[in-house]
Amino acid sequence: MGILALYLIGIAALCGAGVFYISRHFRRQNSSVMSHIQRRKREPYLFLFPTLLLLVLMFAYPLINSSIMAFQYYKLTAPDKVYFNGLDNFRKLFADSDVWLIIRNSLLYVVASVAGQFVLGLTLALTLKKPFPLKGLYHAIVFLPWAFSAFVIGLIQRWSFNGEYGVINNLLMKLNMISEKVAWLGTPGLSLFVVIIAMIWMGVPFFAIMILAAMQSIPADVYEASYIDGCGPLRRFFRITFPYIQPTIIVTVLLRTIWIFNSFDLIVVITNGGPANYSQTLPSYMYTKAFSGYDFGLASSLGVMLMAVLVVYVTLFLRVTQYNKAGDF
Amino acid sequence: MLKKLSVLAFVLVLAVSSLVAAPSAEKPAKATELRFIDVSPSPTRQEYFTKTFDKFKQETGITVVYESVPWDDAANKLTVLGASNQLPDVMTTWAGWLGQFTEAKWIVPLNEYIGTTTDEYAKTVTQLVWKSEKELYGNIYTIPDGMMVKGVFVRKDWAKDAGLKLDPKKGWTYKDYFDAVYKLTDSSKNHYGTSFRGSRGAFDPLFVYLESFNGGAAYSADGSALFDSSESLEAYKRWNGLYLDGAAPKDAINWGFVEMVSNFTGGLTGTLINDSEVAATCIENMTAAQWTVMPMPRSDKDGKIYNTVNSPYAYSISASSKNKDASWKLIQFLTRPDNNIEYCKLTGLIPIKTAVGNDPFYGPNGPYATFVQQLNDPAMVVPCAFGPFNYTDMHQGTMHEEMQKYLLGKQDAATSLANVSNELEKRMKEYLAANPGSAVEKPKGLF
Repeated sequence: MGILALYLIGIAALCGAGVFYISRHFRRQNSSVMSHIQRRKREPYLFLFPTLLLLVLMFAYPLINSSIMAFQYYKLTAPDKVYFNGLDNFRKLFADSDVWLIIRNSLLYVVASVAGQFVLGLTLALTLKKPFPLKGLYHAIVFLPWAFSAFVIGLIQRWSFNGEYGVINNLLMKLNMISEKVAWLGTPGLSLFVVIIAMIWMGVPFFAIMILAAMQSIPADVYEASYIDGCGPLRRFFRITFPYIQPTIIVTVLLRTIWIFNSFDLIVVITNGGPANYSQTLPSYMYTKAFSGYDFGLASSLGVMLMAVLVVYVTLFLRVTQYNKAGDF
Repeated sequence: MLKKLSVLAFVLVLAVSSLVAAPSAEKPAKATELRFIDVSPSPTRQEYFTKTFDKFKQETGITVVYESVPWDDAANKLTVLGASNQLPDVMTTWAGWLGQFTEAKWIVPLNEYIGTTTDEYAKTVTQLVWKSEKELYGNIYTIPDGMMVKGVFVRKDWAKDAGLKLDPKKGWTYKDYFDAVYKLTDSSKNHYGTSFRGSRGAFDPLFVYLESFNGGAAYSADGSALFDSSESLEAYKRWNGLYLDGAAPKDAINWGFVEMVSNFTGGLTGTLINDSEVAATCIENMTAAQWTVMPMPRSDKDGKIYNTVNSPYAYSISASSKNKDASWKLIQFLTRPDNNIEYCKLTGLIPIKTAVGNDPFYGPNGPYATFVQQLNDPAMVVPCAFGPFNYTDMHQGTMHEEMQKYLLGKQDAATSLANVSNELEKRMKEYLAANPGSAVEKPKGLF
């Protein structure tokens, strides 16, 4: 109740501050002291203020706190024994014999999932661009996986790939593609492959929606001119379609990479990182460390490392793809 | 417009302030209310608890609010609640969490509450559970909800087809058990000999098997682990050989409790080592002609039955409870002979009070005959637990991961066993050094 009261007071103070600030702004608008240019300069910050304040409250505190915890001995089961331990958590992390396996899994998981989602999403968007009967219904069906929760998709995959009763083994045996049942979830390599399949299936609609929306904004007269000039389909795609949708692709790949890199729900539901960490990625490992060993210090050091990796990735990605220049014609 | 906005903000602040101030205003005295959390919920259990709490309210006027958390998330939820000082008054607690809970001082000792009433409890409670808690943690922290002992659930029909002559009264040795598992495996029928546990909890039955070569002990007096002998290594290989030789499905490397039980009752596996509580699931899902229970195998070395006897979800009182006396009243009510026997029958446990008498359900012709028979067997010994230290992280990770690496051929058996054994030894020695006067637990018998 105390926390709720503090929270309500915080929100009320926020609203009050916002109203006060806005009213002051309008009052000043009438005065001739402040120049018009200065007011225009301040305006964006004024409207950003409430959102920024909320972001600081909701994200900055956990972020700063977990950065501090990364350098502490912090076990949830021993709350009286919290102390700073320097770089011990990072040393412990890299001393783990499985850490390189987990880093390799993470890279494979992200690259394969993003690539699969991109290729299939682009194909789907190109297919859906042209009108055909029952297009609306088809739209609804193919976009359905995006609406499912990861938990549901995880359970479907877990049962589909069950070594004894799974529909996948049954299907492959009927098609004479395998002669013996495959232990998909119990074999190193295959267990991660199952998670990647699930992630691709879940994320294809998002890529398709984004790319399709970008395609629909391409002016029709550009295509008309290409037809008149006798431009072939491949050339049309690479010279017209792709440059127009490039900014959308860059943003979508960037977003999906970050989301996939951070996601662990599918892994926890389908394999729980097993067998022997062969389908474990850095975030799922962090979750395991936080909620199996209750070692929040170690888990936070992993979190800080993840954050650093993502910052480097985003900076490099935007530079390499020349995002600022993308879409300029 | 500006005035209106200012007035609106003022009213909002006032409204929120009054809302915030309201709880601190003087309130009429409220009747006692307790929070109770069940860590293994099921419709049957929930119905029992809510019905019993209604009865409790009628008798005492104390209201009990029922909460639950699925077993798989229970350890996490209780840990988070404990760390934030919000644990419910009364909890159902698994014995494996006691090291962590007592270390963090989240639960209170019950010695004073129990007082001189120890005679009311069965020997399994006083001589095993409480004796062990006193040795490991210095006090009694739990009142068992019921007792359970392990047995080997066997497909009776498969055993008959395989020509196995199994007699629960006569028992068997581990050699007989391994032979039976291999004989029950028939890939042409999609039959596997055992519900092998490869994931979380995989080390539990294996640990007991390894201890059966050491007279039930896990450590020497100075805290050194006793699993570095060639005998232990051979036993480790023999146990895991069941999986490697194909007597269990390949997927079993990921199996925990749920998968083991469902694949036994579902007809994929022929044997299952588990607690007596599984009998209730077998009664519900299988015909009497399909299953039977054999006692845990006798040691090939000394002929004794090494078997764990514990309480699945014992009751404990949280240190943060503001109504500890009322909480104790609730525990007393739940374990009253009439309530306890009703609960035990529903959940497949053996009652904890001597006053329940000789109920035919637990007699020689009842479904729990083999379990009760083991408790009355002078050859039965309860081996030592992993240790008095906090081993939750090992139990949820290292132990089965090391085993999985061996099963997958990623490391040899000796390294796999040594990695677990060395870590246990390290923690045991650290515990002994940090707790002067403490000693290594000894195996216990009822006679």
